[in-house]
Amino acid sequence: MANMREIRERIDSIKQILKITNAMYLISSSKLKKARKALDATEPYFYKLQETIESVMEHTPHMRQMYFDRRLDIPPEKRKKGYIVITADKGLCGSYNHNILKFTENELAKSPDISNCYLFVLGHVGRMYFTSRLKNSSKPFVDGEFLYTTQNPTLYRAMEIAKLVLDKFENRELDEVYVIYTDMVTSNVQEERMIQLLPFSRRHFGKAPDGTMKKLPKASFLPSPEEVMAHLIPDYAKGIIYGAMVEAFCCEQQSRMTAMDSATTSAKDMIKQLSLLYNRARQSAITQEITEVVSGASSLE
Amino acid sequence: MAKTFHLEIIATDRVFYQGECEHLVITAIDGLLGIMAGHEPLVTALPDGELKYMVDGKWHYAAISEGFIQVMPDNSVILADTCELPEEIDIKRAEEDRQRAQEKLRQKQSIQEYYQTQAALNRAMNRLKISQKHFK
Repeated sequence: MANMREIRERIDSIKQILKITNAMYLISSSKLKKARKALDATEPYFYKLQETIESVMEHTPHMRQMYFDRRLDIPPEKRKKGYIVITADKGLCGSYNHNILKFTENELAKSPDISNCYLFVLGHVGRMYFTSRLKNSSKPFVDGEFLYTTQNPTLYRAMEIAKLVLDKFENRELDEVYVIYTDMVTSNVQEERMIQLLPFSRRHFGKAPDGTMKKLPKASFLPSPEEVMAHLIPDYAKGIIYGAMVEAFCCEQQSRMTAMDSATTSAKDMIKQLSLLYNRARQSAITQEITEVVSGASSLE
Repeated sequence: MAKTFHLEIIATDRVFYQGECEHLVITAIDGLLGIMAGHEPLVTALPDGELKYMVDGKWHYAAISEGFIQVMPDNSVILADTCELPEEIDIKRAEEDRQRAQEKLRQKQSIQEYYQTQAALNRAMNRLKISQKHFK
């Protein structure tokens, strides 16, 4: 049996950690409340945006527009792919970061040449992970100047990011752009998702949960389809990035809360077990002492 | 009562309006646009501007920033960055934004920054205008 002092020290250190995890639990639960509110406010927009664009696409006549250019002249191994990956700024949030990084890794593995992949990582954890990644010699390119936090997403930040990738797409520095984020399906189910942002194609729209499709004749565009698309697509990109940021932030807080809650619970369990051990050790020490005293006394008789 | 159509105005931070509407007037990129029930299918982009819609014979006004509208004969959807009622606009903040943007425009900036500042200025001016017009 371990000695009493050791157990005592162990219990004390667990108590210290318990305080930390408990505080983090409280912080993240209050942050979650805020994030949830933002999510509830943004979700109608996010889904409606995808749904509306989808239906707009159905009414759009065929056109040649910069953002629709699929650049088929570029062979698959030379295509430059950009990924906007949304991770957390901090760890200690369960498997949240791990899942999104693994998902991104899988996506990267699918592309023929990994050095043609460009990563725009939001959040410190992801940025650190991809810059120090040394799996093999070919590494994806990580934009070092792309420094955005994932805390409290704002529309302004989404606008800047959208502008950056659209510019790169226009200048042919990127041929495809994707957004990778964690979607909050229900409060307990989170799912990593990838949305193709550019080039804009009619096919890649996932249906919104309540998406209903109607077949209608071609709509008219004022002043011209090209002109409208030139406005609409940056707006769409911004909306999608913002929505993804809000979803991801909410997921992060949710998983941190869950992780901290379970950490607190298991710390309490450990303290319980250890105090049992401690009491046993204490009791056996006392028993032993008594036995010694008694046997000592009896030997004197 | 006039014929109505379903109107949805959704901003990034809330659902602004959802319901029946008789007449809608918005600023599109090439001018004002009036929409009533049975309008032909139409899609257009919206700059910062004013929006008014008639419900039960009464006009409602709002300040709207960049977005787009999809019009169908029996329903319309407006998706915008922000949408505010005239009485919700914080005049002081809008005024500050305007001054800050004007101040910035005097500085030397990159083209990108210049456009951003100009957009910010437009937004602030639009909010001020609408607030002064409909809410005193």
